[in-house]
Amino acid sequence: MHRRTFVAALAAFTLAGPTVLAAPAAAQLKVVTSTTDLYDIATAVGGKYIEASHIGEGYQDPHFIEAKPSFVLKLRDADVWAFVGLDLEIGWMPLLLQGARNQKIMQGGSGYLDVSKAVPVLDVPSGNVDRSQGDVHPLGNPHYWLEPENGKRMAGLFAQKFSQLDPAHAAAYQANAKAFAAKVDATTRALAPQLAAIKGKPIVAWHTSWRYFADYTGANIVGFMEPKPGVPPSPSHLAGLIQTMKRTGAKVIIMEPFYDRKMADFVAKNVPGTKVLVLPPSVGGVRGVDDYVALIRHDVTQLAAAVQ
Amino acid sequence: MRSLATAVVLLALGAGVLDAQQRDTLTRAQRDSIAAADSIRLVRELERLQNEPRAQPPSAPAGTTAGPTNPRLLPDISAVGDIVGDLSPDGSTLEDPSKRADIREIEVALQAAVDPYFRGDVFLGFNDEEGVAVEQAFLTTTALPQQIELRIGRYLLPVGKINLTHRHDLHTIDYPWVVQRFLGAEGLKGTGLWALRIFAPFGFYQELNVAVTDGFGERDEALVTAEPVNRRLSGLTYTARLRNYWDLSQAANLELSGTAITGVRAQPITPLAPDEEGVVVNAVGARQTLLGADLTYRWRPLQQGLYKSFILQAELLRQLNADSPVSTPPLPAGGTPIEYLGPRRDVTGAYAFARWQTSRRGYVGGRYDYVQSYDAAIDPDLHAASLYLEFFPSEFSKLLLGYERVFQGGLGSGFGADALHRLLLQATFALGPHKPHPF
Repeated sequence: MHRRTFVAALAAFTLAGPTVLAAPAAAQLKVVTSTTDLYDIATAVGGKYIEASHIGEGYQDPHFIEAKPSFVLKLRDADVWAFVGLDLEIGWMPLLLQGARNQKIMQGGSGYLDVSKAVPVLDVPSGNVDRSQGDVHPLGNPHYWLEPENGKRMAGLFAQKFSQLDPAHAAAYQANAKAFAAKVDATTRALAPQLAAIKGKPIVAWHTSWRYFADYTGANIVGFMEPKPGVPPSPSHLAGLIQTMKRTGAKVIIMEPFYDRKMADFVAKNVPGTKVLVLPPSVGGVRGVDDYVALIRHDVTQLAAAVQ
Repeated sequence: MRSLATAVVLLALGAGVLDAQQRDTLTRAQRDSIAAADSIRLVRELERLQNEPRAQPPSAPAGTTAGPTNPRLLPDISAVGDIVGDLSPDGSTLEDPSKRADIREIEVALQAAVDPYFRGDVFLGFNDEEGVAVEQAFLTTTALPQQIELRIGRYLLPVGKINLTHRHDLHTIDYPWVVQRFLGAEGLKGTGLWALRIFAPFGFYQELNVAVTDGFGERDEALVTAEPVNRRLSGLTYTARLRNYWDLSQAANLELSGTAITGVRAQPITPLAPDEEGVVVNAVGARQTLLGADLTYRWRPLQQGLYKSFILQAELLRQLNADSPVSTPPLPAGGTPIEYLGPRRDVTGAYAFARWQTSRRGYVGGRYDYVQSYDAAIDPDLHAASLYLEFFPSEFSKLLLGYERVFQGGLGSGFGADALHRLLLQATFALGPHKPHPF
């Protein structure tokens, strides 16, 4: 009997002990974001009142993040889970949320923050979609953060969410979001010469991830390295792309650091004068691009220099 | 408890009464002043809201309407096809040796939230041999405190690492030999209850999973026991698995886990004389216990993760068999002595598997298998080595070419004469919603 009691006590301690012994929750909102861009904007808005962390890195393809158990531990204690949405994280987010079993950040929970709800979405398919069109996102193109107007909208959404969960600091969140928007506007104003240089210039992008950036800069994407979203380049597609570039005068190929640039170099070799530009799509994608404004400034400056 | 509830209700009522009395004591002028202040506050609040950056609804193309994407609340419906072909030189090694190609299974999954408290998952398997079978069907809690998860239904049992992976998701064509022999060709499933909790008292991820299920593996219809082996609660199958996970770096991680499972299985005896109904008892319940350890090392550099990765996985299982199984109730005495024909010896099995990513869509893998024989004099230990080329045209289809050499006589002696060469092809495809990538 004593032995049975001991076993029961041990089992109870194993299951409940760590929670009982855990330190009391800190006053700061615990915010976990799927990407570094969301992390940076959340931090700009939340300031000292939040404790933020992110799952993906800026130099990593956000479609293919691994659902590591260590991420489950992060989400287990989160007050807010902010994600890009539009199925960008569909390959890993469900496993993490199921594993964390944190009601606050489950769909319908107070901390479940689908940031795509704050932005106008491009490339929403109008007809029937199926996988013959590649790894299509039925809800639209999820790479919206590369349009600074959307960055401001995202900041506004964070301010709303943080104010809802922590009304005591609502004024600070609203002021921070406003300051962030002002910083973004100032950057766009300062980049006016570069944006003017890019406007209307034909370029090629690896993936559809640069659609919003092209809208912002006025660049004209005449073709993609991928024949269909998520499908690696095929020789026949590249042959067609080379002809398109020659016809349109496109001399720049932009691509993310996580793709193999050999294919882009091959195309560049066959279209004289073409530059391959590896641009970070996210904060932290390359050294020195440590915040959202720096990301926009870096990518615009680099592209402007390349198209000139 | 009841008095506490009464006190709370009284306090709430009391507060309301006090508040009403306080309001009544205010003068008319005070009330007008407060009303005016409230109006000004309201106008200012409205102005603030109007000036606030506003979230815009997603721009939808013409012809579409805003609203939920799943207004009829249909579950996610998906199907996975698993087709195999056997080009082995000495004849087919498929389950049905008369076939050189077979649709091994079509798995249809229905998955959705049942209500705010449960998620439901149903996996139906279709194939020529079994027709339709409920492969898995379980209800999982989503709202229990302490982040505890309970699951009730039929599910893959948490025995080792690979048993939790659906067969069509493997990077090899079949489960390792030790899993096939100790757990079953399609892995070990059970119907019952499981509980799972994650914790991190030592700073790294740990997961404890315990389960109690109806039986130990698929029932062999040819084995007839005098009474069901799970008639008593001690005849149920009990499983426990402790999973430990460490991030070694951003790119590398390690998982080391331990498993124990014990239950009673029907094992053959010399058949008894038919009873009054003509039933021939030819089996008794015998306890079997499995102890296991598994290790998984993964490496995937974040920036080059689309093109480079490596995984090393190994499992060791020790099967403990009852030397003198006791039948309950006792078998009839007298007549021909009953001989126990089930396994008596404790045996060990293991495998090691490694897979290297060679390109964005291509992988090369290899596995070594070992399973100890119950009686080395009759049946030698099994050794096998296999190589795999895996190609993913996309995330939703997979082509796999496998070559396996099974050394029935072991690597030392008898090598060659008993060797079996297997050459297999597999194609799998997935229809329906994008599923999470297995980890």
